[in-house]
Amino acid sequence: MSLLSVEHVTHRYQTARDDRPVLRDVSVEIEPGQTLAVVGESGCGKTTLGRAITGLIQPAAGTVSFDGADIWKLRGDDYRRYRRSVQLIHQDPYGALNPGLTVQETIAGGLRHQRIVPRRDVRGEVERLLGLAGLDTSKPFLDRYPHQLSGGQRQRLVIARAMALRPSLLVADEAVSMLDVSMRISILDLLKSLGESHDLAYLFISHDFGVVRYFATGGRIIVMFFGVVVESGPVEEVIARPRHPYTYLLLDAIPEPDPRRARRRRSDATRIATERIEAYPAEVGCVFANRCPFARDRCHTDRPPSQQVDGAEGHWSACWYPEVVPAVNVETVDEEVV
Amino acid sequence: MADDTTRQAPVTSMAPAAELNGTDPDRQGSLLEVTDLTVGFGKVRAVEGVSLSIEQGKVYGLVGESGCGKSTLAYSLLGLVQPPGRTVSGAVRFRGQDLARMSYSGLRRLRAQHIAVVFQAAMSAFNPVITIGAQVEHILDAHPDVYPDRREGREHFEELLRLVRLRPEQVWRTYESRLSGGMKQRVAIAIALLLKPEVLVLDEPTTALDVLSQRLVIDIIRDLHDTLGTTVVFVTHDLAVVAELAERVAVMYAGRLVESGTVEEIFFGDRRHPYVKALISAMPSVTADPSSLRSIPGQVPDLNALPPGCRFAPRCGFAQPICHQVEPELQMSASGHAVSCHVVNNESGEDGGE
Repeated sequence: MSLLSVEHVTHRYQTARDDRPVLRDVSVEIEPGQTLAVVGESGCGKTTLGRAITGLIQPAAGTVSFDGADIWKLRGDDYRRYRRSVQLIHQDPYGALNPGLTVQETIAGGLRHQRIVPRRDVRGEVERLLGLAGLDTSKPFLDRYPHQLSGGQRQRLVIARAMALRPSLLVADEAVSMLDVSMRISILDLLKSLGESHDLAYLFISHDFGVVRYFATGGRIIVMFFGVVVESGPVEEVIARPRHPYTYLLLDAIPEPDPRRARRRRSDATRIATERIEAYPAEVGCVFANRCPFARDRCHTDRPPSQQVDGAEGHWSACWYPEVVPAVNVETVDEEVV
Repeated sequence: MADDTTRQAPVTSMAPAAELNGTDPDRQGSLLEVTDLTVGFGKVRAVEGVSLSIEQGKVYGLVGESGCGKSTLAYSLLGLVQPPGRTVSGAVRFRGQDLARMSYSGLRRLRAQHIAVVFQAAMSAFNPVITIGAQVEHILDAHPDVYPDRREGREHFEELLRLVRLRPEQVWRTYESRLSGGMKQRVAIAIALLLKPEVLVLDEPTTALDVLSQRLVIDIIRDLHDTLGTTVVFVTHDLAVVAELAERVAVMYAGRLVESGTVEEIFFGDRRHPYVKALISAMPSVTADPSSLRSIPGQVPDLNALPPGCRFAPRCGFAQPICHQVEPELQMSASGHAVSCHVVNNESGEDGGE
């Protein structure tokens, strides 16, 4: 049985201007200890998916189940256990911390409320958790407020607070995108090692394929476009051989931190797609058709179902013509460097 | 504008600006000259002792982590540092004219017609209650000397919109709220270029944009540079954007310029600052080998409590005793590649190592 499963979830936010769904018939499964990465541009629904999984919103249709039980039907201790087991790590650690609580109080609150350890052991447990997250355990540090911490320390504190509740699933929503470059790897390494030592599952939301590749190797990935899961599969497989045009374009467009590769010519497909960047998602046919450089007639009339890619176990794509998606060119072009 | 021949030669011998020493400034085409600039906010020095020369027609990337002073340096180029910030020492000169000695109206003209800026928050750079077209008309009203015939100004704006790959009819009668984040960024770039500035300063032009919008903005900046020949100075924390766009790069750390050179020197040169090397190997990417990625230990120092000696020394894997005592100076090779590091500069010896 999956640790968490999302089945046919559709959700829309009530706004005057726009009532298109943010999630359309999304289904995902997360096994214990597994990492599921979610990528897509802003507005694609990845944060809404995270919020549905953490129970912060109730989807308009479909079910979210934890350990086989619908989270919106849980009562009493079962509900408390679910809320304890699924923890959220936000993008902005400063916004996620109560500015009026010290480091000690930040962590102790959940320990007391959920009765994780006896009252007299709370202080020791706080120190243990801070150590686990690579933070100082001295008295002066315990008495600091969030504004007295660096960005990296704040994110570590958020992680320690989440770990206090003995979670089995962490939803990390852009957990490193607001951190300085020099801090990112160490926070990702911390999350990775906690995942291994505590058998944690992750829903790892990011817009950055580089970060996903580093963190979620060995796990699975889903790529979302306007509320629809357009491609899913093993992380390495999807990054090396994308089978949906949208995934391909995201990968081809990434700026390369290597001037030899950065100056390579992007494919004409990417140029065409970036020029159609303002096109609205299609209501009929494939959701990506209006922006797709490979779209044919059928794409504008029939919605493609998610289908397993030939010869690739567990790799799914919602595209009528996955075979036209080119390989991502990552060749180095030395001769162009002056 | 002052005649170039009245321009003062830069005083610091080790600074990158020194590459212009003894040469004809007209031929070199140096537009902006930052000389030993220190900018303070109270006791904190956001930028300290930075010298940099911006040459005509090139694309410059200013890179560093948050709080390193890169934005303060960029705003200094426009004389835009506001109290409590102030220039403690040093100078910024545009075509030889010291910005600190320019009148208010002179600065206004400078910022409008010579050095334009697109702020990081392009989203909030517009007036929400009037159309984009009306905002352009206001700019044309304020600068009749650039376009005596305002029809010409409108036509130029339409041309610029096409350059940033927008349809003029899509933008002119539109309010800011109807544009997406990426579109606002592109309209802001078009407006910045309306009065035909020589220099375009962009603060974090791709931050907070999606990958595809980012790609579009990068391609557009390249196109603008190729088509209009505008000198571009952009600020970013993203080395990938530097690799894509910049011809020359200046890397800052805790208020100091630690390395400057061509993009190839920064990424592949023999003498590279340990911080720059570490920063490059801390960048996750889809192509880099994940096992080669290393985070930089420790954290950026508090500008209120700087370590003695080199500011990077406490985090540096190569630090020697001297690094904790004496602050290194920028040393420049013959090609203009400048590094501020005791270890690198001792190894490479007196010839600069290239």
